[in-house]
Amino acid sequence: MKLYCLSGHPTLPCNVLKFKSTTIMLDCGLDTTSVLNFLPLPLVHSPRLSKLPSWVSKDGTINLEKELKECAGRVFVDSQPEFCLPERELLDLSTIDVILISNYHCMMALPYITEHTGFTGTVYATEPTLQIGRLLMEELVKFMERVPKAQSATCWKNKEIQRMLPGPLKDAVDVWTWKRSYSMQEVNSALSKVQLVGYSQKVELFGAVQVSPLSSGYSLGSSNWVIQSHHEKVAYVSGSSLLTTHPQPMDQSSLKNSDVLILTGLTQMPTANPDGMLGEFCSNLAMTIRAGGNVLVPCYSSGVIYDLLECLYQFIESANLGTTPFYFISPVANSSLEFSQIFAEWLCHNKQSKVYLPEPPFPHAELIQTNKLKHYPSIHGDFSSEFRQPCVVFTGHPSLRFGDVVHFMELWGKSGLNTIIFTEPDFSYLDALAPYQPLAMKCVYCPIDTRLNFHQVSKLLKEVQPLHVVCPEQYTQPPLTQSHRSDLMLELQPPPMPYRRCSVLNLPFRRRYERVYILPELANSLVPSEIKPGVSMATVSAVLHSKDNKHTLQSVPKPPPVPPSKKRKRVMEEPPVVLAPKPLLSGAVPLEAFLATLQKHGITEVKVEETADGHILHLQAEDTLIQLEEDGTHIVCDNNEPLRTTLRDLVLRFLQKL
Amino acid sequence: MLITHTHVSTMDRECASLLPSVCEVLADSGRSVPDDTSLEKLLDWFTGLTEAGGSLLEACPCLLKFISTVVYNAASDPGVLSFTLRLTGLMAATEDGFKMLQERSVLNQVFNLQHWQEAGLWDDPCLRIGWIQGLRSTLQHPKALRFFVQSDFIDSLLQLQTDTSLFVASAANRMLAHILLFFQKVSSAGSNSVNKKEEDDERGIHHSATDLEPPAVTMETSAEYSAVVKGISEYLKESLIPKENTKLHQSLQILKLLALLLAQAGPPLRDKLLQRVTDSLEQLVTAGCSQLTLPLMDVILAANSSCGPDGRVPDQRVTRLLSSMLSVNNAADRCHAAAALLRRGHHDTVHTARAVRILLLPLDIITGPTLLGTNASADEHPFSVVEQLKSKTSCISMICVCLTNTPQITLTPPGVLPCPPVLIVTAVVSLLRICSGTSSSSSTGSSEVCRNVIGSGKVQKCALEALTALNSSPGAKEKISEVFTILIQYLDSPDSDPTVLHKSYQALVKWIRVCTDLSLITDQLRQDLVEVVKKRACDMRWEVRDSTVEFLGHLAGVHVSVSSGEEVCDASEALLGGCCTTPLLREALQDTESYVRASAISALAKTLTHSWRQGAALTQDQTEIVSRLLEILSQDTEGFPRRAVVQYFISWFFSRSSHSPPSSSASLLMQCVRTVLSQGSADLDWEVKVHTLELAELLLDQAFSAHRGYRNGSDAHRALQRPYGVVSDQAYTLHTHTEGVQPDLAYVVEQGVISALLSGLVDCDRPVALKACRLLITLRETICPLSLGALDATAATATVPCELPGRGWGQEITKILEMEKSDRAREADVSAQRSSSAADGGGDGVSVSVCEVLRSLGLDQRLDVLTQSSDHIHNSPLSLLQDILTASGAHAHPDTKPGQEVIVDCY
Repeated sequence: MKLYCLSGHPTLPCNVLKFKSTTIMLDCGLDTTSVLNFLPLPLVHSPRLSKLPSWVSKDGTINLEKELKECAGRVFVDSQPEFCLPERELLDLSTIDVILISNYHCMMALPYITEHTGFTGTVYATEPTLQIGRLLMEELVKFMERVPKAQSATCWKNKEIQRMLPGPLKDAVDVWTWKRSYSMQEVNSALSKVQLVGYSQKVELFGAVQVSPLSSGYSLGSSNWVIQSHHEKVAYVSGSSLLTTHPQPMDQSSLKNSDVLILTGLTQMPTANPDGMLGEFCSNLAMTIRAGGNVLVPCYSSGVIYDLLECLYQFIESANLGTTPFYFISPVANSSLEFSQIFAEWLCHNKQSKVYLPEPPFPHAELIQTNKLKHYPSIHGDFSSEFRQPCVVFTGHPSLRFGDVVHFMELWGKSGLNTIIFTEPDFSYLDALAPYQPLAMKCVYCPIDTRLNFHQVSKLLKEVQPLHVVCPEQYTQPPLTQSHRSDLMLELQPPPMPYRRCSVLNLPFRRRYERVYILPELANSLVPSEIKPGVSMATVSAVLHSKDNKHTLQSVPKPPPVPPSKKRKRVMEEPPVVLAPKPLLSGAVPLEAFLATLQKHGITEVKVEETADGHILHLQAEDTLIQLEEDGTHIVCDNNEPLRTTLRDLVLRFLQKL
Repeated sequence: MLITHTHVSTMDRECASLLPSVCEVLADSGRSVPDDTSLEKLLDWFTGLTEAGGSLLEACPCLLKFISTVVYNAASDPGVLSFTLRLTGLMAATEDGFKMLQERSVLNQVFNLQHWQEAGLWDDPCLRIGWIQGLRSTLQHPKALRFFVQSDFIDSLLQLQTDTSLFVASAANRMLAHILLFFQKVSSAGSNSVNKKEEDDERGIHHSATDLEPPAVTMETSAEYSAVVKGISEYLKESLIPKENTKLHQSLQILKLLALLLAQAGPPLRDKLLQRVTDSLEQLVTAGCSQLTLPLMDVILAANSSCGPDGRVPDQRVTRLLSSMLSVNNAADRCHAAAALLRRGHHDTVHTARAVRILLLPLDIITGPTLLGTNASADEHPFSVVEQLKSKTSCISMICVCLTNTPQITLTPPGVLPCPPVLIVTAVVSLLRICSGTSSSSSTGSSEVCRNVIGSGKVQKCALEALTALNSSPGAKEKISEVFTILIQYLDSPDSDPTVLHKSYQALVKWIRVCTDLSLITDQLRQDLVEVVKKRACDMRWEVRDSTVEFLGHLAGVHVSVSSGEEVCDASEALLGGCCTTPLLREALQDTESYVRASAISALAKTLTHSWRQGAALTQDQTEIVSRLLEILSQDTEGFPRRAVVQYFISWFFSRSSHSPPSSSASLLMQCVRTVLSQGSADLDWEVKVHTLELAELLLDQAFSAHRGYRNGSDAHRALQRPYGVVSDQAYTLHTHTEGVQPDLAYVVEQGVISALLSGLVDCDRPVALKACRLLITLRETICPLSLGALDATAATATVPCELPGRGWGQEITKILEMEKSDRAREADVSAQRSSSAADGGGDGVSVSVCEVLRSLGLDQRLDVLTQSSDHIHNSPLSLLQDILTASGAHAHPDTKPGQEVIVDCY
């Protein structure tokens, strides 16, 4: 069993598991942090951005005037943003049989995998994962296509040049493999390969293994996967949460007793408690509004935003913010808000029961009804006429490199009254803000990551007791910035197997058993003999038939009856030679008892020598050796057949025959 | 459950006549007793009678018959039996009573254990406790002691000491202590007897009149006493060591008893006890049983300190025990022992120094070795402490014990402290940093330990409490910046829970008091503080907003100088800048949570006190706040904010400058006062009304304090609290100048004070009516004292009128006046303004003379009624007896099954 690790990102994993002749890809996350190296894509012309000076190396030798711009001491690529894809050279992607998706954040690289690679397999995902994933992809494509950039910067990727660039560009890896966004057509084609599954539904793969998604409690339709054969079980844990937010709670018990547990998607913010962050979010929001400023919340259009809106729903009144408008701007804002209300079966119990009242499970419906929350596809159109300040705006993309958020950054960045509150944990807020410096706007970083923290995961692992744990190497040491926090790492016995991008791991368990079926008539013919209470054995002679990874024992076909011949021959001319099979021996020869028996038979001078596998008995008078080993006994006795026979019989006394 | 004893000291005829039938009811096993509380009350009443010096037997001879009837009736209710046992004890507390009971052979029967056991009643804990308490009441004289010894009760009592019922066991313990201590030789009792009395009083134990003078153990009883001492101490010695590890209960009980005894015993008894038990104590210390650590420590410390006062050298063995306790193997036990030693204020430097080191060691290990230096001695077992600290639960509990004691530690003399006190502050600050996960320990190898405290709310709270208390330790001033930094960090942290935030604020206020000079606090820190306070004022949790608002108020109450030698201003202005506090508090007036609104109002009052004192002109802001407050008073649906509003005006009125010329502030205030008085007195909440009356009182004080004979509010209040300490008539007779009163009275009427008082008088809430009544009496004594006679009051004062509205309270006052008048009309025809025409309900208001009203309301009689507690009628012994009789009648109803009532565990 092997694991190919195509992504080193702990929360955007992409691993391939080869298990019992199947090749299974586990998630295909897209690492979008690469876009932080690019200049933002403004929706309307930004004089500030267009006037940024080009970067020139100190000695003036490198001048990529068109490609690199400098802002507040950092260098940015002036080009359509590009993403860092999962590794595509480690393994032939066309050999992948299936892709299992755990949640909509972990499928963003899907078109890069399924299109133009020869992929012919199936993708499995739950319905909310597919639908919301589609929304996020659509949003991404729209963000990019709305502001096309003619040029594509490539010169800076030249190794010689990149070496000379200042960080973090200098240290960016695999820049040649970075790709621009896919198109809507590719998205549609990729998503057409998705087959929907429900929680705990069992899907047979070629009869070899069975895969099944389990609720992971992280987002709508998010799942962990169990991949099992008759005798082996692999659990794949991706973004999971034990907090009571909107999704169905995590199914922990089904993860029990796995041979291998692949653990990814722990919280990216182990020190930030989501409740505390939510509190921080609300108080900073209220503080800004009261002081007459605007609040900008860069966020994804699904996920945490539902919780934020729910929290605000309760908070607005108590903080006297009833009259403040809340805007949600995204090409998919409307669909996202509506989708969330229809996936009742994927919601936590509390919300599910509301559906039967009937009431919308999420309170944002009421916010919309009372006109407190308004949503728009973009800043153009209706929004511009209804826009009122001070207000709160939720919009993407959290990287601040594209999407409507860029516009608000340009608009509000200059005033110290306004606040930007980061709630998504995927991007470093300092890096995100770098191309907007100098910035007067107040920045608040309260990343809300509801995924498992180290404390929770160690409890979980104690509970489910996997034999081996595989995890990204980041989890095996404290975070770089907090090296004293030894509580922020996985400490397990045996230690977890770490992986990084491009690792190929031999998973540490041998397949020892295979299930074989016996046909009834063959089974009928068996003569079992009990070798110890409750355990019987029988010898079988049969033909092993394997098809579709199923093995069956069938009776040996009888030789075709001899065709009757006219010549009257002797009926039993040559009876078929059916040799009675030699009896099989089992058991071990106990040394003391064997020596005693030897003595009874007059063999007294025995020298016993201990070996690695057993013992050698030297019968000195007879000049004979008896090797007693775990899986065999040899009697070395030259020219004395009677003695050999006697000794053999003595040995056989201690063994069981079948 | 206790009845006020003034009412029960004598038995009136009515009670005496009811008692026999009550006794009959109680003695009749067929009828069930109303409930346990009635019996308790009855017993309390009897106790009161006895304490007043009366003899129960003489007053109610029926009791004797009652006792014998009940005791011989096997079917008696256990509750009644228990009551009977205790009653018997009460009656036998005097030698005469004892004699009589013994002569009638009641005593033997009542306390006959075997009898109760055979009757199968002994299993009821209620009876056992009755037996113990009855005996205990009896044991007040040598005869009782002899009876006790001769009846061989001592063994049974010792057995009860480990009774399954905790109440019984503890009563037995106290009883044992009572016997030994009470019959100590008078000569040796010394000062201890006084202590004992005090301690007993604290526990609410009642003493008979003879209790004050412990009887000398005469020659005839000394033998019995020695026998008791011997018996008990032998038992203590034998049973102190637990026979099995699981049987700690007995040892625990004995340790409690020993601590009780040793703390109060005179030298001969103490020496005897110690001589007996020291071996066992030593064994117990060596056994190292965690659960016994604290009780053991109590015993040892009691033994040790009881040696002190007479200047005797402490017993060497006791000292050794103390040393062993401080070096037991288990680190947590050692910590607890050390903490107990410090708490007791032990004065021996050697042990105190050890205890201090023991307590500082865990802190030292976690925060890096700074406190104890590098020479931690081997008997401190640093390694075993580290091992204990590696377990999360024991780590947190040990650290908390250490932290709780750090303030005490810094108070120890310099020779005892292993480091300068300021280092302890540093250590607590470092611990707080570690707890918040922001810093690592500087010591190597303790990261495993640090892990246990990261994010622990319990440790954070303890550390913050310790830090708060450490503000007075020497050298604290140098640490101010560091302390501020960590506190602000805690206030800012999203993970701090509301209690942690509250404690951080408290600590901050305390530490601000330390700095005489605010220049110690950098601008950056101030700015951070402003930001964090602003943020917390918008917190989602109302508790946090409340603490924040409260903090702003507290801050305003602290005065600091901005930089050395400069002028003094309040801390909120100095730290937060004037522009922060008031806007935040104004915003908080709109809060959805009533507590927050109330706190904001109080905080605003505190913030503005300074400017009121100086008589500064009102700002636009302040005027707006005032109108908002009046809005709250009239509209807020919750009581707290409205109460706070009235108090705001009280403090404004109280602290307004009397020297400065009339200002806009003063005129606005007087304008508001009228509104507050009228609205506050019409409020639904009785506390708002009482506060309103307090404001009225201030106005009265202001108006009349210049007049002789006026006792200002607080004096009058004090006098009225003691009904017998009525101010002598002289005060009034001296007062002859009523002329000057008239304009002041008119002013007071105009302000609405009289209306507020009158409406309060007829209020259905007793505290309101009482307060109003007292104030009206004071006013009456000032403007128209009765001693001068109605006609002597000058015409001018008598003519000051006030309006009585035709509805509500006005109508009620009018009714009272009508009634009084018709009463008086029969006696004498006093001509005054006739107002009877207005008495037809719901008519227009009428104008009446204030003086006339004050005289005619029958205020003194009202005061009498109001002063008695509202349940005085229901609580009288008479009503109790009646209740019992009635209840028995009700219970005798055929439908009621016996034993149906709820059984309350009331002993």
